[in-house]
Amino acid sequence: MTLTPIATTDAAAAPVSVAGRDFPTNRGGLCKKGWTSAELIASPSRLGAPLVRGADGVLHESSWDDALDHITTSLRGIRQEHGADAIGVFGGGGLTNEKAYLLGKFARVAIGTSRIDYNGRYCMSSAAAAGNRAFGIDRGLPFPLEDLDGASTILLLGTNVAETMPPFIGHLAGAQAAGGLVVVDPRRTATARLTEDGRGLHVQPMPGTDLALLLGLIHVVIAERLVDLDYVAARTTGFESVRRSVASWWPERVQSVTGVAALTLRRLARRLASGRNTYILTGRGVEQHVDGTDTATAAINLALLLGLPGRPGNGYGTLTGQGNGQGGREHGQKSDQLPGYRKITDPAARAHIAKVWGIEPSQLPGPGVPAVELLQSLGREGGVRALLVHGSNLVVSSPNVTAVRERIAALDLLVVCDFFLTETASLADVVLPITQWAEEEGTMTSLEGRVIRRRRAITPPEGVRDELWILAELARRLECSATFDTDPERVFEELRLASEGGLADYSGIDYAMLDAGEAAYWPYPRGSAGTPRPFAERFAHPDGLARLVAVSVRETARPLPLSGELTLITGRLLEHYQSGAQTRRVPELADAQPEARAAMHPSTAERLGVSDGDLVELSNPRGTVRCRARLTADIRPDTVFLPFHYGDEQAANLVTSDAVDPISSMPEFKTNVVRVERVGGLVAAGAVA
Amino acid sequence: MSALRVVLVGYGPVGARFVEELLPAVERGTIELTVVAGEDIEAYNRVLVAEYAVGNTELDSMLVGDREAAEAAGARVLLGVAATSIDRAAHLVHLSTGEAIAYDRLVLATGSRANVPTLDGVERHRRDLASLEKYARQLVARDDELPAGITALRDLADAERVLAAVRDRKRIVVLGAGVLGLELALAAAHAGAQVCVVHHGPHPMPRSLDRGGGQVLRAALRRSGVTVIAHSRAEAVAFRTDDDGTRRFDLLVTADGKQLRGDLLVLSCGVSPRNELATLAGLRTAVGVVVGPGLASWTDPDIYAVGDCAQVVERTDELARQRSLPGAPSGLVGPGWRQASWLAATFTASAERTASEAGASGSAGAAADSATDAAAPVEREPIVMLKAEHIDVVAVGEISADPWDDDALHPRRRVSQWADPEHLRYVKMVTEDGMLTGFVSVGMPRTAAELTLLFERGSELPADRSMLLRFDGPDYDPSTDSDAFAPGATVCWCNGVSVGRIEESAACGNTTVEGVGRDTRAGTGCGGCKGRIAEILARAAEADETPTLTL
Repeated sequence: MTLTPIATTDAAAAPVSVAGRDFPTNRGGLCKKGWTSAELIASPSRLGAPLVRGADGVLHESSWDDALDHITTSLRGIRQEHGADAIGVFGGGGLTNEKAYLLGKFARVAIGTSRIDYNGRYCMSSAAAAGNRAFGIDRGLPFPLEDLDGASTILLLGTNVAETMPPFIGHLAGAQAAGGLVVVDPRRTATARLTEDGRGLHVQPMPGTDLALLLGLIHVVIAERLVDLDYVAARTTGFESVRRSVASWWPERVQSVTGVAALTLRRLARRLASGRNTYILTGRGVEQHVDGTDTATAAINLALLLGLPGRPGNGYGTLTGQGNGQGGREHGQKSDQLPGYRKITDPAARAHIAKVWGIEPSQLPGPGVPAVELLQSLGREGGVRALLVHGSNLVVSSPNVTAVRERIAALDLLVVCDFFLTETASLADVVLPITQWAEEEGTMTSLEGRVIRRRRAITPPEGVRDELWILAELARRLECSATFDTDPERVFEELRLASEGGLADYSGIDYAMLDAGEAAYWPYPRGSAGTPRPFAERFAHPDGLARLVAVSVRETARPLPLSGELTLITGRLLEHYQSGAQTRRVPELADAQPEARAAMHPSTAERLGVSDGDLVELSNPRGTVRCRARLTADIRPDTVFLPFHYGDEQAANLVTSDAVDPISSMPEFKTNVVRVERVGGLVAAGAVA
Repeated sequence: MSALRVVLVGYGPVGARFVEELLPAVERGTIELTVVAGEDIEAYNRVLVAEYAVGNTELDSMLVGDREAAEAAGARVLLGVAATSIDRAAHLVHLSTGEAIAYDRLVLATGSRANVPTLDGVERHRRDLASLEKYARQLVARDDELPAGITALRDLADAERVLAAVRDRKRIVVLGAGVLGLELALAAAHAGAQVCVVHHGPHPMPRSLDRGGGQVLRAALRRSGVTVIAHSRAEAVAFRTDDDGTRRFDLLVTADGKQLRGDLLVLSCGVSPRNELATLAGLRTAVGVVVGPGLASWTDPDIYAVGDCAQVVERTDELARQRSLPGAPSGLVGPGWRQASWLAATFTASAERTASEAGASGSAGAAADSATDAAAPVEREPIVMLKAEHIDVVAVGEISADPWDDDALHPRRRVSQWADPEHLRYVKMVTEDGMLTGFVSVGMPRTAAELTLLFERGSELPADRSMLLRFDGPDYDPSTDSDAFAPGATVCWCNGVSVGRIEESAACGNTTVEGVGRDTRAGTGCGGCKGRIAEILARAAEADETPTLTL
């Protein structure tokens, strides 16, 4: 978007005006969240000074020096007594590349801890694991977004783009015109409605059965000889094992598991294989599961058997969720990863990064633990005792938040960097107020792997600081001799060196080039012209071939609802973003969706004695969510939907499970079993006058 | 200490699943596995044999076993070798090769064979104990030879015979109107063969369907080009002699004197478990090999049975005295797979417990059986689905009740029914206390899919049963605001702008798409709704010009 500063004397008015920028992804369009985003800059609830919890248990304003000294003293003591791994760092997928990079360096060099992970674990980790396994690389869309314009068939698996990234739907028009937009979602979402009037097909499986659905599609593709055998022979390995693994998933069996008619499955498989330009795209709906990696893998297998990835006008991709969800997962916030998407266990990667950072490889910590495990260790013997949080509202966004709140209460020190007193910040011992997007320089990497610039439009208010500065100050106070630049461009120059030769190689990109408007797609080695379509010739495994990996349904992966129980799925609303920390503070957005509403089918509501707007409780052994009911025929009768943007007793994650995928460590956000009851009990028939 | 020696007899889809799940323990050396496969071929998914028989799929796509992986893990897989007898006292299995293999635990997954009905002109063998003892060599692990031009449809050789007839668009007579026979008939007719189904019941699939569902199915079969002859008991076959001297099937004669000429007779008269090894070894058999809830034989706790040959019955003193026993193998692969997985997990646990105990105390030998008190998952009644692209039939449970029945034994039973024979659609739902206990669905694929899920999970049906029928409506739209111009209908998804908000803006003087965009942000996201905004503005302008009555 384009920002224009406005001369205003009203302190509460937005200091900039917002306009859409004509860019290939959004084509000048913005959604409601974009148009209203400037309201946050001058929001009256914005923090203007550090807060430190006093002996009275209350947060008091403090000077920057006092706050940073307080943190430093505490960190030193904990490190001395319990070792560096007693200090944890929790990052976010919304941080710029520069901040994400420096945060990883800060954790590993200035603190010396292995305990760093980030909220992208809840977002892209399954798709990333599946992409790495199949292609040897994880770039959300391995093609520019505009390529979708020429598609005749697009299969969207578990993504509601019409609400989560509305301008994106402009790229679906071609497929809609060809009658080929296929949306797989248990809800008839705004995106599913785009298939109406002959523009495509909405497939509405039972939640948690996406993997069986995909195995069934692969079964039909193989059984009906729709496999692109030349492509499979030339560009993949592993076909035999995949073929064997789907022999037991004939369409009628899939129907009995998913609720999707066998006929629908056959027709869909044929449409996908019809040889016209076809794309398969996954979202969190199929990935945020204990079998999310295998489900994404099955989607990739389907795409590979059809010969889509790397073929002009065809492809497979995953739609990255957070603002910098792609860049945020490449440069060292992940527990097992170093900048440039390098593995922390790879000796060559360690040697390279250690050299850039001016330390010995032996000084680099080893792999840490993923987010859920990290949070479960808080305040425990041998666990993390001090936690630094950047760009994350984890007591709203983490699964099983009751347990997370308990763990946070057991910490010796919680430091939160944010611009608002979020639910997480309000629990902190120290809160550091930071700059917002319009006030800082940096880069982000878009869902298509394109590195784009963020430019400062206005001067930040007095009293807030940039996170690069905070990290540098803390490093200095911790007497770390490594370089911690505060200038984003110099940090980016260091990131270039660090990423050089890695999978996500940024070494050929600089600010001047981006400022001149070049479309820079990674991998972008020094001297190259970048890589808009990395799979055109080969995949990133050493032999250049993609891996077809046989996956299977684990029947015991998740509990099934018993009679009277419903399956809870969670997701986003148009008006809100993630934990709602920002959007709930924009009056226009909050007015449109002021509170969480549990969406359920009228026939289910009738059975439960619930009317539209009634207060209901959704409970399971982990907790209880209390909110109002919204009746809609757009959901399966066996399913209830909650948006996850709200805190306190409306937090959807009170009832989600912290069981994780064995490969990606993604929690099970999307299929949890709950019992729904009307608060105040059933109103007996005839009791209402 | 020594590994637990497990011998598996039978390598169909259920046997293959058992092997697959046992491999980790085999790899660790706690279990020593020998597979006596019988057929000389990698395990394949028998469910797809009818598809194969009409050329819809190929063998590679049906394979479920992975012999190479099993052998790499250390298992011994004997393809084309049959088990001929069991010496229970010595814990040995004798093979067709003359070899004898020792076992600690023997698992029978011998599956079932196609029934050959009593027909003049076709020889069939009894497999009772006396016959088996006399003719073991001919009867054990072997199926009956059928004359040329007559085949069952059970294995690949059968399928090849059918495939040849389908390719040449021959006349195929199918005897029996169960699921498998109908699947073949429909697929073969679709592939261009002339197909006639002969059966003695009043309508097809008599064991699974009620009269309404059966009649609709019969109409659907006829419309698909399949001739259906009901109420006809087959009595004899007649043969002709080909030019090459082969005596082959010519016509089927029914009890009421019909003569049905054809090139191939496919017998589709159900299946029976392959019990002969168990019978010869003195194990209790009824329909199948009788095993308890832990899948171990009633007679011998070291012998187990899974899949089509296993009849699971909990032993009681009363039942032990009875000649016939309740229940029968389902004949479906799903329950067999679950039994195989469960048994493999049970064996693995007990073998590894033995291994760790032996490691700790130095004692050797197999531990006491753990499976005797544990029980494999109890199966719900299996759902019958006809696998055919153009006709969708799903049924389960007791569905003979009518909506008007007044059954004192089932005071809380309710039946809902919908029939539209002209359009080949029929649904019946039977509930007990609101829970689905049985249903029939013909020609309603999406309804059937939803009912299947509701049945599997024992869920309550919506009070308005007709909701389930609407899934299959061509204009199915669950929205409450399907009127695109209703004030609450969303126009701009990017910015959440409704029809009402745009009309309001128009009333305030914003009469262009751009003007509305500036005012409401509608159309300023992806821009896909600009056309609709223009329509709304046009309608609003029209409304302004239309004279209205003022109050």
